[in-house]
Amino acid sequence: MIKFAVPAIITRRVVTALVIAFGSGVVFMLMLIEFDHQTSTEEFCTTCHSMELTASPYRESSHYLPTSGVRASCGDCHVSEGVLSATLDHVMGTKDLFKQLFGPDYDNPVVNNLHLPEAAFKARQWFRERDSATCSRCHLQEAIVGSRADTAKIHQEDAVGKSCIDCHINLVHRKVPGKETFKRDAWNRMIEEEFGLEPGMADKILKGEIEPPEITAGVN
Amino acid sequence: MKTVQERLKLLPAACLLMICGQLQAAEVELDPSDWGIEEGKECVKCHTKTSAGLAEQWRQSRHAEVGMNCLDCHQADASDVDAIQHEGFTIATIVSPKDCGRCHVNETEQNSSSVHANAVSLITDRMPVMAANLGGKAIIDAGCAQCHGSEVKVKGDGTLDTATWPNSGIGRINPDGSKGSCSSCHGRHAFSKAQARDPSSCMRCHSGPDSPDRAIYEASKHGMAYFAHKEKMNLDSDSWIAGKDYVSAPTCVTCHMGAAGKLPTNHDVGMRNAWNLNTPVSEKQYLVIYEDGDKSEIPASQPVPDRGTEHTKIDGSLGKVKVVVPPDRRRKAMRMVCLECHGKNFATSFMDQFDSVVDLYNEKFGKPAQSIMLDLYDKGLLTPAPFDEPIEFTYWELWHDEGARARHGAAMASPNHTWWEGIYLVSRNFYSKFLPQVRAVAGDEADALISRYVTDVKEHHGWLDNPEKGNPILGYGTRKSGDD
Repeated sequence: MIKFAVPAIITRRVVTALVIAFGSGVVFMLMLIEFDHQTSTEEFCTTCHSMELTASPYRESSHYLPTSGVRASCGDCHVSEGVLSATLDHVMGTKDLFKQLFGPDYDNPVVNNLHLPEAAFKARQWFRERDSATCSRCHLQEAIVGSRADTAKIHQEDAVGKSCIDCHINLVHRKVPGKETFKRDAWNRMIEEEFGLEPGMADKILKGEIEPPEITAGVN
Repeated sequence: MKTVQERLKLLPAACLLMICGQLQAAEVELDPSDWGIEEGKECVKCHTKTSAGLAEQWRQSRHAEVGMNCLDCHQADASDVDAIQHEGFTIATIVSPKDCGRCHVNETEQNSSSVHANAVSLITDRMPVMAANLGGKAIIDAGCAQCHGSEVKVKGDGTLDTATWPNSGIGRINPDGSKGSCSSCHGRHAFSKAQARDPSSCMRCHSGPDSPDRAIYEASKHGMAYFAHKEKMNLDSDSWIAGKDYVSAPTCVTCHMGAAGKLPTNHDVGMRNAWNLNTPVSEKQYLVIYEDGDKSEIPASQPVPDRGTEHTKIDGSLGKVKVVVPPDRRRKAMRMVCLECHGKNFATSFMDQFDSVVDLYNEKFGKPAQSIMLDLYDKGLLTPAPFDEPIEFTYWELWHDEGARARHGAAMASPNHTWWEGIYLVSRNFYSKFLPQVRAVAGDEADALISRYVTDVKEHHGWLDNPEKGNPILGYGTRKSGDD
């Protein structure tokens, strides 16, 4: 009969500690997965009113109302796959929570819309850095057929080497120009016109020189 | 031997010819290495699939033939008001005359000061009344502005305001500040010379009551010859000089812009017009050309500015007068086109017939109707607001619809439009609708008004004094004795 010599260091206590640690690890990971899952839902994201403003155009988009019935929620696009990446994204995302609590009044539609372009540029950059990885959760470039005549051919011939976000922007949220051609002045004037503000007010609101007008009704 | 005065009289004509000469359309003089941007070939690959018709039109165009691609015209600087990022390229949707003018320098210059390029300023007074009161904003966008041009608005999110774009109006005010739309006649993306020379490209707007030229041309001898011999018109030819490259018929372009004999082509469409035919009363018009190339029309009844003086332009700004071209010299330029196919007497006599119709319209109907309306406004018998009283529609239709049709009909040789669709309708309106409405509006003051402007003018309205003078046209006196 073969006997394994157990090193003296592995005592019953150590084994017990290891089992508990492993168990806790598993539970912790499961909790993280659950945490990532719960914090990626539309319901959670729109707990903040500022996000509700971002979400309303989404609810009219093809990502919310596709003919197939496959609905992409906030996290499907904006949170990476894999528990570690997803957790990291959420940790990074807490800066939004911080800004929501201590920054400008994003719940105000005027303020929200005035800050929207920078948020859009950052989001696009995030997609670009990840080679539009979250898009690929659902969309496979080689499988894209489309409803227009040559959509398939374009995705197989002309889109080679490009990332989804290179061509597909402004699909879901309020339309924001590309960063290079964005004109802050024109944007501010548009927002002023939309909310009936005097010309120049938007710039002052952005600088914090004046308080934004009280607007409670949702826009977009 | 000509006297100095006689020689001086020829000066404006010489100037007009010189100006035409300087502005003569030329082949593009840029080096071919200036176009054919390499990256633009990427656009073609994708657009051949996404918008096959558009790409094919371009592929068959002269532009494709010389190696130009999408990006040559649609390239933009990121700082341009209407620049957008599109699939990795910075482009603008609208290709303005400024863009076309990078290569087509002369055509752009000529057109930029033309009545076409100023088509928006021309109707700024009318728009609020015609379009907004009688119609609505939707009419301004989809009606007026589609011929006259919109003021294209770029929204803060980079999109073009849907009320102002798409628009191919000929006086479109573009985001880059330029005025005009080359594609109004040279439809994108084939940019066909033949299409622009075909009367149909003008007819898109020059039809209907406001500018009844489509029907008039179709009914004229010129139109008749064109439709019968279209295949001989050589419309695709690079050189298109009337009398040389084609002889079968003139199109709108031939007379208003085209080269004929020694007369060079010019993209300023109004240069050869001696009359203004779209006013309540027609006047001959001077052409004022400013130092900066802009132009204005001055009715002959108004003081004509001297050379070198300052004068208010159509857009309200001041310009220094370079040349003043009198109407008879403009007429001479137009007549040079006629002479490619007609004898001098033929052309002159035709113009005499045309001028006589304009004079008749002016004296018999235009001036009396205008004077009566002004008096009705002055006396407070009509409200200042236009079109809130029936007589205002009557008057508008008299000079704008029927009167303009008669005058255009005579200018372009359609007997039917000169009389039945023109002066006959003016006359019917004047005697059977306008004057009775004047009586209704003016009450006790009507008789004085009507005798002053109408019945006292015996040359034109004296026939009203002879109610006993019968004629069988309506059956008077044709009943035989015994008929019951």
